[in-house]
Amino acid sequence: MKTNLILTIFIITVFLITGTSSFGFTKSGNQTNAKGEGNIPKYGNWKNFTVADGLPGNKAYAVRVDGDRVLVGTHEGLAVYEDDKWTTYTTEDGIAHNGIIAIDVSELTGDVWLGTMGGLTRWSGGVFESFTQLNSGMPNNLIYSVVCDGKDVWIATGGGAGKYDTYSKEWDIFTEQNAPMHEPWTYSVCAGDNKVWIAAWGGGVIEYNNKTKHFRDYVDPDGNMEIDLFPDDGVVHDITTAVSWSNGILWVATYFGLSRYDGVHWKGYFDHDSGLASNFINFVRAVGDYAYLCTDQGLSVTDGESWVTYVRNENNHDGKVIITTGEQKSEKKLSPSISHNFVIGVDVKDDVIWVATSYGLSRGERIN
Amino acid sequence: MNNRVFIFSLFLIIVFSGIFSNAQDKKIMYGNTPDSIFPYNNFQKAYKYHFIEPRIEFLGAGREKKAPTDLTEVRIGFLGPLENSPIVDLGKQMLNGSILAIEEANALGGYKGIPYKLMIHNDVGLWGAAANEVIQMDDEKVWAWLGSIDDIVSHVALRATLKCEIMMVCTGDPDPTFTETNIPWTIRVISDDRQSSYALANYIYRTMKHDRIAVIRTGARYGRVGVMEFLGVANRLGHPISMEERFAEMGETDFTMQLKNIKNEKPDAILIWGNAKETGLIVNQIREMGMNQPIYTSDRAVSDEFLKIAGDNANGIVTTCQYDPTADNPSLKKFQADYYKRFGMEPNVFAAHAFDGMNLIIKAIEKAGLNRVLIRDLLTDRETFQHYKGVTGEIILDASWNDVGDIFMAKVENGKFVFFPAAQMKERGHSTRMVGY
Repeated sequence: MKTNLILTIFIITVFLITGTSSFGFTKSGNQTNAKGEGNIPKYGNWKNFTVADGLPGNKAYAVRVDGDRVLVGTHEGLAVYEDDKWTTYTTEDGIAHNGIIAIDVSELTGDVWLGTMGGLTRWSGGVFESFTQLNSGMPNNLIYSVVCDGKDVWIATGGGAGKYDTYSKEWDIFTEQNAPMHEPWTYSVCAGDNKVWIAAWGGGVIEYNNKTKHFRDYVDPDGNMEIDLFPDDGVVHDITTAVSWSNGILWVATYFGLSRYDGVHWKGYFDHDSGLASNFINFVRAVGDYAYLCTDQGLSVTDGESWVTYVRNENNHDGKVIITTGEQKSEKKLSPSISHNFVIGVDVKDDVIWVATSYGLSRGERIN
Repeated sequence: MNNRVFIFSLFLIIVFSGIFSNAQDKKIMYGNTPDSIFPYNNFQKAYKYHFIEPRIEFLGAGREKKAPTDLTEVRIGFLGPLENSPIVDLGKQMLNGSILAIEEANALGGYKGIPYKLMIHNDVGLWGAAANEVIQMDDEKVWAWLGSIDDIVSHVALRATLKCEIMMVCTGDPDPTFTETNIPWTIRVISDDRQSSYALANYIYRTMKHDRIAVIRTGARYGRVGVMEFLGVANRLGHPISMEERFAEMGETDFTMQLKNIKNEKPDAILIWGNAKETGLIVNQIREMGMNQPIYTSDRAVSDEFLKIAGDNANGIVTTCQYDPTADNPSLKKFQADYYKRFGMEPNVFAAHAFDGMNLIIKAIEKAGLNRVLIRDLLTDRETFQHYKGVTGEIILDASWNDVGDIFMAKVENGKFVFFPAAQMKERGHSTRMVGY
């Protein structure tokens, strides 16, 4: 009898100890897989480009497909790939700065807009025209992001977001003085559904409604930089690095993980609870139902439920594809793989993907 | 009987294995933050903890780049408030400390016979301007850079330095959020306002047993973010701030309106968070209004300017300081003598930390060679320079590359600051044995 009593106390004690150590908010490892990884575009037949192939520099910040040509922003200038040839444009041609960080193409006019380390450049009709703080109402010369939204061109800078009306040729500047930003440090901008979203460093995401001209903000509800208190309660961190919108979904990248917002619910993703290659996300581009995530440890593609991640081996040109659905994970060899695992930019058009990395550019073809 | 012994032994093993598994917590304690004051810790474990090992690394390319062979100077950048800023005096001291380190290194032969050259940039304290300065440093091909003091400038510069991939050594910005960005291109070698707040709160609430504190602070970001940590700690220790008043960053000299409100509140003590000039003026006006409460201040009061303005009213004021300038440290004594000889003035906290920070950059360049990524790797590996003994004391970086070395209290006695070590909060650091880790 006494032994039973001791045994019971022991079991309860062990239960309490183990229970205490795992106390807290836990997330289920089993997630539903309504869409399935089979629908996520998968890419192969990778071809890589470096200086040896004609790029002006190996560090590629941005890539944009523009019809039959591909525009690549590097630290040493703009590289244009057309008819299997590379052509380089630099400050000598009229670009504001050789460090080209962001690229967008206006659907309205076909003009190319370049966000550089020294100003904003428009490439129109073969002529480069540059905007700087000195010759225009731009908030700062270091342009982290540029996006064309109809007649407007939006930029994100460390001195605030700017909107350039190409008809009136006037700038509107948005900072903590006239928008719900904690600080005016903005690093990404995207547009869609008659709205514009701005990634504000330390201030989460700012939404601007083109119709009402009103702003609203989305911040991490726990209000602390060192934690994410609850999963799926809002943007995972206030230090946001990139935003992209497609098919009603806003994707928000941070250096701490990824967030997905469907207009009602937020969902957070980290590398420990999903197939995300790394929590350090340089850039995100949403195309259709999929988000293409440029991380410091590879390229991930997701629909929010399943994941396909491309990584390169350390010591050779090969790599692997990691497919994750819920807790199920599988790997396939990839030969060759992407140019480098530190991925900075991506663009997708039809069945071709272009990936800008810390060391070279990659082109892949859809294989499913 | 044997059963009981077996069960009891098993019980002891399980209990003690739990205790032993906590041994690593000391090593990974973020920001010297004890359990009792970690956000939400008394109510809810977080789903994800950041800034705890294994921390982020820079995984990009660049280590393969060969050093140039045609250099005539090895350039190191400097960004500080040198013109058109309310903290020019602090910036000039930071520049002097940097210059002294460069001159000493050049006297020893520079980098393999090539002299170091400081590329000096002014931060004007306006939003965004620092980004342009960092881009200029990239164009100038600096190998690393040092700066700044203003937290706005530092944040903007940090994001730009990530894009350019140039190592930034921060020796003057105390904003706790600066290193909470996960950017692997900076270290901070000065204690931040989180450490100052912990030290102040410990002293105010536990040593002096005050309960109700009124705060008056600058409306600038330095005041807003700086005092934020103190407010958090005060709340978690069970002493919510009874009142918070603000004043303008520049130009305000009459604080009667704010101080009347504080007087009516009858707090046990008053905490001032601002630059030296305004802090001195506020101390005087507090006493002129007949308030005799103990006064505590942020660390920028540790200056001749504050002592001169506050005069006798400064006596009894307690603040913090990121080092002890009276420490019996031979390298500190030598630095102070060399500095006085070179610049004709006593070095302040920004000069001393800049001297240490610039020496770290120089040592990293000499060890790693002329490659930005390799210089970064050495400065951030938390091995090569961990526990570096500089003129400001021992530099210890936590997993966010934030300096969590010793911090000191400073009390004015007979018109001079007297320094003594801040008491540590003794609780164990927060556990990482939870979801996400």
